[in-house]
Amino acid sequence: MTTAPDTSRLERTLGVVLRTGALASTVLLAAGLAVALGRPSAALGPVLIAAGLCILMATPAARVIASVIGYAAERDWTFFALTATVLVILLGSLLVALRG
Amino acid sequence: MPEISAFLAIVLFLMGTLAGTMGALLGLGGGVFLVPFLVLVIKLPMTHAVGISLMTVIATSSVVSAQRAGRQLINLRLGMLLEVATAAGGLAGGIVVWMMSPQFLQRLFGVVTALAAVMMLRRLDRRNVILDPAADPGLLGGRYHEDESGGTVAYRVRRLPLALGVSFVAGSVSSLLGLGGGILKVPALNAWCGVPMRAAAATSAFMIGVTATAGAVIYYGRGQVVPWMAASTVLGVLAGSRAGFAIGLRARAKWLKLALAIVLLLVCGLMFLRAR
Repeated sequence: MTTAPDTSRLERTLGVVLRTGALASTVLLAAGLAVALGRPSAALGPVLIAAGLCILMATPAARVIASVIGYAAERDWTFFALTATVLVILLGSLLVALRG
Repeated sequence: MPEISAFLAIVLFLMGTLAGTMGALLGLGGGVFLVPFLVLVIKLPMTHAVGISLMTVIATSSVVSAQRAGRQLINLRLGMLLEVATAAGGLAGGIVVWMMSPQFLQRLFGVVTALAAVMMLRRLDRRNVILDPAADPGLLGGRYHEDESGGTVAYRVRRLPLALGVSFVAGSVSSLLGLGGGILKVPALNAWCGVPMRAAAATSAFMIGVTATAGAVIYYGRGQVVPWMAASTVLGVLAGSRAGFAIGLRARAKWLKLALAIVLLLVCGLMFLRAR
């Protein structure tokens, strides 16, 4: 069983992952939208927007990966297994998406 | 794919801001306001509306959870456990949604919002809090400081299988309807499983990012997300959820529940009546 300080340390780490991902995707989406509206014919706008959307979707996945690592480090195998299962499900989604 | 237009980009941004503010206040992610708007006002196909909405759900979840992390309001263990069910539901919904008609999905949207409203209204005055801060919250329970009563509250999680079942349904609903699923989880966790409203909302908001991602990836892969529309709406929602978060800390729990129920009933009526 985990002690409370470890849990809140993990929580803070997850907070950093989420904040970083949200910030990166916001900047990319805002820049992409500005370029797309200013120069609709340029390829840069759609590329930046696509990158922003992909980072947006990758952020919760990164948070899950951080949780898997965090619980492994704490040797909390129950929650390691649970978070690893979530990761496998997300990979399943990616597979479904790639197969169209 | 609709051609990019500055006017529509601004409309979507403003709608996103409104939805984001409400979503952060109510722990819903905003989809419950966005999807009806995109379908009924902007006249987007249901799948395009859901695709955009899922993107905003992810954004709201990331921002709101990042701000809340470390405040002990998110029940991390309960969240990680229920997430297995919501993510599985999200994947299942993302696979079967393509076999359903838009009319069916719109009616389902109405039914889901009505159910959530009824559950919320019936439990307006329940608090579900063990007031003794020394009480043992158990493995999955939690403890947090509540500004409203000025003390530490502790709670136990009851009826875990029910919570898992609701989470699976909430996950499917996320991918079918573009809702974070908080609309089902928050009332259920609060009414049936003993989790206080604020902790239920924070834990749900934490989970819906992963839940929505399970569906969003599939919508994106199938070309159902119009990128510039999603960008505009997401930016609006991000701006709005910041505002909502600031207000939310001061709003009272009972007021939150009542506001949520009224909004849900309105949304239900609109989606049900306008399903062609």
